[in-house]
Amino acid sequence: MHFDWSYFWQELLTPSSAFLDGLGLTVLMAVLAEIIGLVLGLVFAQMRLSKFRAAQAMASFYVWAIRGTPLLVQIVFIYTGLAAAGIVRFQDITFDGFNFSGNLQAGILALGLHEGAYMAEIFRAGIQAVESGQFEAAKAIGMPPSMMMRYVVLPQALRIVLLPIGNQFNILLKNTTLVSIIGVSEMMLVTESINSATFRTFELYSVLGLYFLALTSLWTLFMKLAEKRLELRSLRPAFAAQAAGDL
Amino acid sequence: MSNTQDTLIEITAIEKWFDRTKVLDKVDFSVARGEVVVLIGPSGSGKTTLLRCINHLESVQGGRILVNGKPIGYRTSNYRLVEDSERNIAIQRRDVGMVFQRFNLFANMTVMRNITIAPRLLLGLSEAEARERAEALLAQVNLSEKAEAYPHELSGGQQQRIAIARALAMTPKVLLFDEPTSALDPEMVGEVLTVMKDLATGGMTMVIVTHEMGFARQVADRVVVMSKGAIIEEGRPDKIFGAPKHPVTRALLNAVMH
Repeated sequence: MHFDWSYFWQELLTPSSAFLDGLGLTVLMAVLAEIIGLVLGLVFAQMRLSKFRAAQAMASFYVWAIRGTPLLVQIVFIYTGLAAAGIVRFQDITFDGFNFSGNLQAGILALGLHEGAYMAEIFRAGIQAVESGQFEAAKAIGMPPSMMMRYVVLPQALRIVLLPIGNQFNILLKNTTLVSIIGVSEMMLVTESINSATFRTFELYSVLGLYFLALTSLWTLFMKLAEKRLELRSLRPAFAAQAAGDL
Repeated sequence: MSNTQDTLIEITAIEKWFDRTKVLDKVDFSVARGEVVVLIGPSGSGKTTLLRCINHLESVQGGRILVNGKPIGYRTSNYRLVEDSERNIAIQRRDVGMVFQRFNLFANMTVMRNITIAPRLLLGLSEAEARERAEALLAQVNLSEKAEAYPHELSGGQQQRIAIARALAMTPKVLLFDEPTSALDPEMVGEVLTVMKDLATGGMTMVIVTHEMGFARQVADRVVVMSKGAIIEEGRPDKIFGAPKHPVTRALLNAVMH
């Protein structure tokens, strides 16, 4: 086995600016896709739980179609497929000196749509996990549905869904590599192009893996802290704690 | 019963099915302003369902429910009843307070916020007004020192008293109680019943589903006995408890009293 340690350390500790730009794109895509996913997830979860059949059906179809097809297929479909059919061609936009390229937009959209389907299921489960008595009390006191959601149900559901949302974001961070297929120069594609010039595949992909490990580890650490902070005394389930308090 | 000014709740021939089981069979029921009505009956007799129809937590398949002269949950369109919008139902529910068996305080809010949130958002009270009202209610239920506590930090009896205060903060025309002491440890039943007695004495209109027969006897203006989705007997408590006519009432009282 040959492993060029000096090359490995050089790439790990003093990465090229192209690699660092790739790192930036990876994080940018993940964050923007997550925001899209959270919004879509919330909307589609409400639709799935609504009493309107058409809304239910639309949301179910979305979740079914997205979760049932590979993300890689979705990315190519949205960027290349839609353009080939003449439906949408993503144009480059230069924004404050930053070139927001067409394939980057398509990649973020595809990742966001994908994330949204999983978020919809997470939010739906979270809302359904809130005790039915909380819904009834809100209704009985005269809250319309939107107010009940905002002040009573969602604050309680959010606590429940925090961990699964964090896990899903971890997956999303890694899934950004798939966008390399449509030519977005995120870390994976940059690594590939360096590799095609140097053929130091083992070293380069070790570095790439370690960068992803660093990203996901940082995220896990952040989630741990966030969870601690959210363990406010208000948010333990009322009944378990009440039983303990009664003793 | 005629729709006089004194009638607050007027229910005519309501029918309710759960799948193929009839749980309310053409029930007529009315409550006068200031009246305290206690609903009793064996489990599964439909008393809780009847109570939950009054604020439309349960829908009905037939009949009519008027609260304060207005239909709740339904409006008439071309002489037919259609389910009202959630928004309208929410407005109608403001006049009807409800206290649940399992308290159902909002778990994510302090006691103070539990009581102030609905008056703030729905009645348009300022924060100061809502707090003032809440403080008076907390004093009334003897829990002033718990304003900043969260529900799970309170005993069942305390939670239920807060739940009563929360309902009262909306200044409802009637309060519905769904077995308010059934989920409590025996030593906490008294503190909740005391609050309810004070309300009854103060002239609050109340409809109470309970198994506390002693309390019913003391507080009720009228006792209504249900069995198999129908009202089988009703009258003054001394009459119902002293000389029950219906065999089901007799069996029920025997079972509870001994």
